[in-house]
Amino acid sequence: MHNGQIKATPVVGLVGNPNSGKSSLFNVLTGLRQRIGNFPGVTVEKKAGMLRLPGLPTVELVDFPGAYSCYPTSLDERLVVQELTNPAGDLFPDAIVYVADITKLDKHLLLFTQLRDLDLPMILVLNMADLMENNGLTVDIPRLSKELGVPVLPVSSREHRGITELKTAITDLLRAPDAFRPRLPFYEPGASARDVLGELRRELPARNDYHALLLTHHAPWLKHIPEPTRHKVQTARVRHGFHSLRAQVEETMDRYNTFEPIVKSSVRHAGDTASHSDRIDNIVTHPVFGPVIFIVLMLLLFQALFAWASVPMDLIELTFGTLGETIRATLSAGWFTDLLVDGIIAGLGGVLVFVPQIAILFFFIAILEEVGYLARAAYMFDSLMQHFGLNGRSVVALISGHACAIPAIMSTRTIANWKERLLTILVTPLTSCSARIPVYVILISFAVPQVTYLNGWVGLQGLAFAGLYFLGIAGAMLSALAFKYLLRTPDRSFLMLELPDYRTPVWRNVTTTVWQKSKTFVLEAGKIILLISIVLWAASTYGPSDDMAAAEAQVMEQAGARELSEEQAADLLASERLEASYAGHLGKFIEPVIRPLGYDWKIGIALLTSFAAREVFVGTMATIYSVGSSDDEFRIRERMAEERNPVTGEPVYNRATSWSLLIFYVFAMMCMSTLAVTKRETNSWKWPIVQFTFMTVIAYVGAMVVYQLLA
Amino acid sequence: MPFSLPAAASLFSPGQSGTIERFTNEQLAGKLLDIGVRPGSRLRVVRKSPFGGSWYVKIDRQCLALRKKELACIMVK
Repeated sequence: MHNGQIKATPVVGLVGNPNSGKSSLFNVLTGLRQRIGNFPGVTVEKKAGMLRLPGLPTVELVDFPGAYSCYPTSLDERLVVQELTNPAGDLFPDAIVYVADITKLDKHLLLFTQLRDLDLPMILVLNMADLMENNGLTVDIPRLSKELGVPVLPVSSREHRGITELKTAITDLLRAPDAFRPRLPFYEPGASARDVLGELRRELPARNDYHALLLTHHAPWLKHIPEPTRHKVQTARVRHGFHSLRAQVEETMDRYNTFEPIVKSSVRHAGDTASHSDRIDNIVTHPVFGPVIFIVLMLLLFQALFAWASVPMDLIELTFGTLGETIRATLSAGWFTDLLVDGIIAGLGGVLVFVPQIAILFFFIAILEEVGYLARAAYMFDSLMQHFGLNGRSVVALISGHACAIPAIMSTRTIANWKERLLTILVTPLTSCSARIPVYVILISFAVPQVTYLNGWVGLQGLAFAGLYFLGIAGAMLSALAFKYLLRTPDRSFLMLELPDYRTPVWRNVTTTVWQKSKTFVLEAGKIILLISIVLWAASTYGPSDDMAAAEAQVMEQAGARELSEEQAADLLASERLEASYAGHLGKFIEPVIRPLGYDWKIGIALLTSFAAREVFVGTMATIYSVGSSDDEFRIRERMAEERNPVTGEPVYNRATSWSLLIFYVFAMMCMSTLAVTKRETNSWKWPIVQFTFMTVIAYVGAMVVYQLLA
Repeated sequence: MPFSLPAAASLFSPGQSGTIERFTNEQLAGKLLDIGVRPGSRLRVVRKSPFGGSWYVKIDRQCLALRKKELACIMVK
């Protein structure tokens, strides 16, 4: 395998237990030069970055998901085993940087010894070395290195210590991968495994005995094992009475017995380390104060989201508004200028205006994660979640869902039980994601009067906003409850959650998360929104030529008859042209369906376009009400307030219609990207269809009931 | 220690502790061993969750959240 040849792009894998500070180290090593994608064939997020080392080709550093052992229980862990047992795969690492928490070596070395027995060139990184001085922890590094047979390096990714030494060690290992070959394995397969191995050793594409043993355990689901081999493994397992679970327990116990003396002889603890965390947890996970603190934190988050984001958002709107006006003033009038200003610039502004809120939300969630609070929230709410068929870990998804359902749905892969995971995926999009915020903001101003109490501290509009969020959460929980009784699975469900020590957040990790997520949003969602903006501009500018001509003729006639000013005539022309355009025809076509909800055909256009992505609603409003008019595109709210029903003369956006729209947007599944992620995560079209249907039905019925009650 | 005979850890009340002797469920044992819970470890029940059903447990120096049925398979002396 390792024949001294260095590949064109050597792969170095970063492997370790969850909470070992692996991702933190990855951020230090790669900075912002990261590529986030998926591992081939699965939806586990793959983070890779480039590492430049002296005298070597550029190295690809892959951050593998955290895993406890080579006996996976979740999708994340399965992936690690899948890639590390497949020497022919693209991601099979040329070297492994194994990251262990220096304070938890007695636990984190289990996976290390397993990978070592696979004969992979490794470096052991003792992360969080900054804790050594504070906690009276001493580690005999040379002794540990000798006993384990690999280079051992203390590193602090928090304080940037030991990074240069680590890079040198990686360079040395890639140059001479055979320098640290293991002399003896940590574990010899027991009697029951020896029989089955004796038969299968030659059949399996294995590099050594332990590799063969892992393939025997995992052949039923490993993708790189061909079907005939899988069949042979199955028959051999039955013939020799190989009991996978029993063999696993036996192996794990044996490994602990082997490495425990090594850890004991080289690591010294002085006193109880986690008393600091214990004191915090006395309050934060207190049966009464705990949930109260949680709710206060969430309220604070939404308050901050509202108060902080408005300044940069206004600034972005102002910039794009000015840009549009400048271009219109500079370029000659024509379809190209219209496309540029009404389609592209309005669309771009509509995308970028979300960035402050998305950034703030991810900033909060990243901090809660870094500090260690999210695990506490999962612990506190597990039993409550169980009543609704969910898992404590679902709390993380339901909180993240308030930023964006896409990463939230992807975070459910740590839930080992399929049913709990599926329910979490199905209901997460009901939590109000940041894309709904601009829709809420605009509509609440029509639905709720601007009244404040307590010297302006509590506003009625703010309360309504919070109410919509709670409505989304309630909808999610009740839907989960309904699905709990509809679906049946015999799978076992686990909690077994690690509660890591509290630590001050590493700001580099927080900023990296905020940067990555915002960038992904702008690039991924932005593409769709921009495309729809352009299509929408075209659909609302052009129409069947007969209709368009008729509309123009009618305006000319009316302008003459009613002695309209030039400006009034222009506005009338704009509105008549929109009605005659393709978009107008489509809106009119669906009007009968949405009439009971209190919507006209213009709102119909906005509904149709925002089925792709709900944030398009605002952009559509901008396009619909600004096409052909000299109005500033970003003064949508004022323009909507002026909108009157042509028959009754009443404002279109009255209380009933606005509330009906709000309810519709709380529940409706209006995000193609989320449906695509659900499809990928559940690996079938069935669940995205179920999700789309149940959410849209709730939205339609809910909006109709509200409109009929208020109107 | 009030229990001299091995007893399921789920019978402990907050504040009680003991040494893990064995597991009574193979599937849960595999998972518990992976995360570092093993015979010989010190187990202390710290508190119950706000809505019941799960426990805040300290095993050696590590804090874990375990459900009642997960604790029930851990025999402690």
